[in-house]
Amino acid sequence: MASIELQRVEKRYGPHSAVRALDLRITDGEFLVLLGPSGCGKTTTLNMIAGLDAPTAGQVLFDGRDVTEVSAYRRNVAMVFQSSLLYPHLTARRNIETSLRYSNMNRAEKALRIAETVRMLEIEPLLDKLPSQMSGGQRQRVATAKAIVREPAAFLLDEPLSALDAALRLSLRSELVNLQKRLGTTTVFVTHDQIEAMTMGDRIGVMSGGELQQIGTPDEIYNSPATLFVAGFLGSPPMNLIEGEVIAGRFHSDQLSVPLSAPPGAATLGVRPQDMHLVAPNAEGALPVEVFALEHLGRESIVIAEAHGGLKVRVIVAVGFAARVGERLGLAPDPARCLLFAPGGARVPLRPTVAA
Amino acid sequence: MNRNRFLFVAVVLALLWSLVPIYWFCRMALLTPLEIQQYPWPLFPRAPNVASFWNIFGYDYILSDGTRVPASGQANQIIRGLFDSIVVSCIVTLLTLLAVLPLAYVFARLEFRFKSVLLFAILLSVALPPVSTLIPFYAMYIRIGLSGTLTGLVIVDLTITVPFVAWMLIGYFRNLPPIERLARVDGYGRLAAFVQLVIPLAKSGIAVAAVIAFLFAWNEYTYALVLVNGSTANTLPTAISGFLFQDPQPANLAASVVVTIIPPALVAYFLQRHVGEMNLVDPVR
Repeated sequence: MASIELQRVEKRYGPHSAVRALDLRITDGEFLVLLGPSGCGKTTTLNMIAGLDAPTAGQVLFDGRDVTEVSAYRRNVAMVFQSSLLYPHLTARRNIETSLRYSNMNRAEKALRIAETVRMLEIEPLLDKLPSQMSGGQRQRVATAKAIVREPAAFLLDEPLSALDAALRLSLRSELVNLQKRLGTTTVFVTHDQIEAMTMGDRIGVMSGGELQQIGTPDEIYNSPATLFVAGFLGSPPMNLIEGEVIAGRFHSDQLSVPLSAPPGAATLGVRPQDMHLVAPNAEGALPVEVFALEHLGRESIVIAEAHGGLKVRVIVAVGFAARVGERLGLAPDPARCLLFAPGGARVPLRPTVAA
Repeated sequence: MNRNRFLFVAVVLALLWSLVPIYWFCRMALLTPLEIQQYPWPLFPRAPNVASFWNIFGYDYILSDGTRVPASGQANQIIRGLFDSIVVSCIVTLLTLLAVLPLAYVFARLEFRFKSVLLFAILLSVALPPVSTLIPFYAMYIRIGLSGTLTGLVIVDLTITVPFVAWMLIGYFRNLPPIERLARVDGYGRLAAFVQLVIPLAKSGIAVAAVIAFLFAWNEYTYALVLVNGSTANTLPTAISGFLFQDPQPANLAASVVVTIIPPALVAYFLQRHVGEMNLVDPVR
């Protein structure tokens, strides 16, 4: 177990920067999720933590010790690769054994350790099968066993669940979290799936364009996103982003008018679908919209409304809400739950307004 | 139904195309010299005998009616050729694999400078017609005393097998899953990962590569004809061609052709599982 620190880590491939000047601290025993769209540098970051890719600049520290030049094996990291890669020509047992191949343990200790791991992951019946004879979920378990059998300082996972079907992902998600909490191993988990990130991570680091946009608890990331990118990337249905202008303490866009204490100028208003209310079409300060579609989710429904200029706004409404497509309505956001972003994407802090 | 019928006809035609010549010389090998001269040719040997197979290895054979069929005058060349062919083919196969395995692996899995230029240089030699290098090799071999030697023949064979097999294996290695990263986390060095993990993983592809190298060296005729024919370092294909020119013996010729087919047939038989398993696009299923 170890704390991991990245200091001004960069990775360039020729003129292309995959990761730029990244600072990251992962505390001992933490489950950190690196979240971002494909090509955002999250896998490259993981590979640099693992020691599989050397950073172009900067340092990687394990427990305060510089390991930038140290090999993956000597860092004592364990890794689960995309689609739970295993040696295809070796049985599950031999796959797990290769993890201990270069360790100093004697034969009996190794056997004991493997037996423990096998019991913990319940893969006894799979031991003599080849990876090609296992299902995706079974492969994932064996890859996890192969990783934890070394009792690694850090457990690194690169989208291990992405190739599995939805139901299996759901159950393996909680299994992995449970295992991580029992073992207390520092874990870095890379994914592009926001639900995986929200449900699994102690903290989430959101990456985009090779930069860390924000790092924080799922609550912080969801409820107070630092940038427009984070706000738009997390949440399902996604946050509504409405472009407009702040004039004299009010945000204006079309006929929408929301009281906010922010400096004047162009800005983007962010409102979660659950923080929007449907009002009468000509209500004071509301955004006039037409109903575009209605989606029933069982516990709630989502109204997708279209404003002038084609902007789609999503609003969560109670079950039983009925509306015709094309019906005219007004939309009013809850001013206390609104977020404001400057044109560059940075969040503009809002002071609570007296007028609201 | 129509599709199946078409397939059936196509398969039958393909089988006729490849099997009829084989049947024809097997039949010839089992005829007596007298029967071969008959016209029209007998389609089936009425009294098949294995005289020719004894003759080409230097033994007389007495038929059931008491006729003695004398040993072939070229028995020495056939025995010598068989031995030389086995030696040359095995050495060529071994050296080809030794050279090509690391070469193909490096080109398939590592990045380095001038990679595409070097790759092109290797592949260019596949495109070169073998005959175009024949005269230069001959001239060179005369000077350095390699003409008429097995060493010389092995070297020339390698100039064909190495680029060709490399070309095939590069594609195969490229499609293997990225287990090197896994191996590095497990503590393997690059060389150890290659020898202990990649080679066992790639055994089907390597087996097919070995068959191709072996068959090429075994069947090679043009180089052998120019570089070693007439010397003590004669291989089987050129030795057999002697039956055509020196002392026409159709039955003996046919028998030695049958003998020539046996080793590659055995190789193909024992490696057919790998040949069937090998899939260039998705090597590991």
